[in-house]
Amino acid sequence: MTEGRTGLGTRSRLRAALAAGTAALALAGCGVAEGADGSVADADSLVIGVKDNEPGLGSRGANGRYEGFDIDVARKVAEGLGVDAGNVTFKKVSSDQREDLLDEGAVDLVVASYSVTQQRKTEVTFAGPYYVAHQDILVRQSDAASVENVRDLAGKRLCRVDRSVSFTRVREERDVPVLSVPGADYADCVSKLAAGALDAVSTDDLILTGLAAKAAAAGSGPALRMVNAPISDEPYGIGLRKGDVEGCEAVNKAITGMYQDGTAAALLKKWFVPAGLEVTTTVPQFEGCD
Amino acid sequence: MTAVQPAPPGAPPTAPPAPAPAPGTGTAPVVRRPRGGVRRPDAPPPSRRFGFVPRTVAGRVRALTGAVLVAVVALLAVVAVSVGNARDGVRVIGEDAGPQVVATGDMYFHLTNMDAQLANALLIGRAQDLGTRRDEALRRFDESRLAAGKALLRAAKLADEDIEDETARESLNALARYERLAGQALLLDERANHAAGPPPAEVIAYYRQATDLMKLDLLPKAYNLTLDNGTLVRHTYESERGAVMTGQVLVYVFGAVALALMAALQLYLFVRFRRVLNPALAVSAFLTLVLVGASAVMLNGQVDHLRTAKSDGFDSLLSLSRARAISTSANADETRFLLDPGRADTYEQVYLSKSQSVLYRPADNLDRYNEAIQRDLGAPDLDPQRERFLGFLGREAGYGALPGQPRAYRDVLQKYRAFQQSDSRVRALVRAGQTDRAIAARLGGGAGGLSSDRDFTAYDAAMQRLFRIHHEAFEKAVKDGEKGTRGWNAGVPIAGLVIIGLVLAGVRPRLAEYR
Repeated sequence: MTEGRTGLGTRSRLRAALAAGTAALALAGCGVAEGADGSVADADSLVIGVKDNEPGLGSRGANGRYEGFDIDVARKVAEGLGVDAGNVTFKKVSSDQREDLLDEGAVDLVVASYSVTQQRKTEVTFAGPYYVAHQDILVRQSDAASVENVRDLAGKRLCRVDRSVSFTRVREERDVPVLSVPGADYADCVSKLAAGALDAVSTDDLILTGLAAKAAAAGSGPALRMVNAPISDEPYGIGLRKGDVEGCEAVNKAITGMYQDGTAAALLKKWFVPAGLEVTTTVPQFEGCD
Repeated sequence: MTAVQPAPPGAPPTAPPAPAPAPGTGTAPVVRRPRGGVRRPDAPPPSRRFGFVPRTVAGRVRALTGAVLVAVVALLAVVAVSVGNARDGVRVIGEDAGPQVVATGDMYFHLTNMDAQLANALLIGRAQDLGTRRDEALRRFDESRLAAGKALLRAAKLADEDIEDETARESLNALARYERLAGQALLLDERANHAAGPPPAEVIAYYRQATDLMKLDLLPKAYNLTLDNGTLVRHTYESERGAVMTGQVLVYVFGAVALALMAALQLYLFVRFRRVLNPALAVSAFLTLVLVGASAVMLNGQVDHLRTAKSDGFDSLLSLSRARAISTSANADETRFLLDPGRADTYEQVYLSKSQSVLYRPADNLDRYNEAIQRDLGAPDLDPQRERFLGFLGREAGYGALPGQPRAYRDVLQKYRAFQQSDSRVRALVRAGQTDRAIAARLGGGAGGLSSDRDFTAYDAAMQRLFRIHHEAFEKAVKDGEKGTRGWNAGVPIAGLVIIGLVLAGVRPRLAEYR
């Protein structure tokens, strides 16, 4: 931060000196340097925070490479920012670290099933959303008949992941008296659901679909079932360091391009349509960068 | 070239070919011809460090004159380019992005209102005793449809990029599809002839398709266009303002150089030709000074106009447009919450999220949000200008200097508070299982005369009053900006011709002496 500011200051002074010393030729090039210091819009390389435990969104494949919808979106956005694929590094982030890592500058962008909330907007600048997911509920097939909507979760054990909004949406927003069972992440929650350590996992349909498909493929444990009673819109944003308006606008431009050239539709089809999800292929309503 | 006596390395630079008065050349103030004194005027100077200084007096006068002319032309060029930059900045903000924000904001409002009125009509059914009847809702639907179409056309006309153009075309298509779905929903709903409340499932199925099309396709396009204009203005403002400020510095620099060269020429003529003052040159120097001063004042004014047009006008128009867009769609979510119980949870969640983006108060659920709004906006000693709430409405706090703004802003906040309160009552009735009373509280016509829809209309009207205050400030700043550079296009070349003509006129008789 400080370093960047000093750099800009020197540059401006240099410009002023140059402007003073040069003749009419310099006119064509005059103007004050644009862009904030340290904006991802000017970056040559990017460290992007992603999840590694959400199959379909962000996880590690058999060869150890990151894969999923979020990963592909991150690559596409980096391309839109003019960063070579070779200069993009993925870094695993968990739900409870995202704000801190952005603030510290340990990651430049977060593309990690990161819902834009008004609360989070006080800490992070959000580009996008690049997709709007919906919070739903996953239960064991054997309980499916007794859970039709979120209110049927009253008195049941619901998984809670730190700094994820999903649990709050059920217990505070919907005011459903659920019992809290901590989970490290949603993969852990789904394992606990299969093992009978809790009764329901409620979070974004995109995450649940991927985890349920993975559990089904593994073949062990009881069958799981999505309730299909959405309770929210979860606009998935791309997190940037607070105040990077320039970078946010550049990311939005990349997202718009991704929808206009059909990439988004292709990626949604690749990652979610086979799992039976209905997807929206038009560009979402952006939050705005301020 | 001139014979040059190379200075010995390390030696101090020799004195320039000083135009020192030759000794013994009398004291006559005016001399017609150059005197052949100790040194002939055209004799090479005794020593010279640089090779490009002409040898002869005539050559030197020409060289100095040339330098003066170059500096004057550079000064004029700087002024002309800066005027152009300032004008571009004002034009982009005033004639492109500003009207686009208004047009796309209008479009968003009317599209949302269409969907809201459709939801009203479907919710009302055959009921005649509510504050609004079905045919009334449909009439408002039609009005909004016309207005949305008009705003869409206006936005399309203002579109100057392919993407904007394409967006306008796609929006037109989507609007046609929306109207078809709305028509189907209305037809089925009419046949069902149901009492006030959620219509049959098949009607809801059509309504869901229609509202999804609106929410997922049409509205994002309009909203993102609005946002794009914000980006455009920010970039334009930063670069044009920077360019105008750089221009100001350059005007001073080139003005100083031109004046210094004119002074040098004047001095040289004085020394060589015994001219006390060359009137033409003096006038040209005076005019140059006036030009520099006027340009500096004008550019300073332009920087101010740009800032006012952007900060007091455009930024606030943009954030109020967004506040109105998001508020209107939150209001529609209240109807949808009543209309479609299957999606009621989601409609309530997005209502909270939208409300928080309009005026942020930390709260985990809608009840607590409303409590916070009632408490914080209802405080008897509330000073919204100082309180600085987060959210679109909070940004208004910074504009207290605009005439009429503090009162209009306060009014918006109070109307917003009233609307949130009546929304809360509607939801409480739904939770208590009293759907009929909830619908009456929503649309009016029930006991107590409550109508949250009417409260919203009052809030929206207050917001439009605030909007108009900013729109006036915006238009005034744009007009002032345009006025500020009026005449400069012609004025700069004319001033240039006059100054150059005077310089030449001042020098020509002296050069003629060498013919």
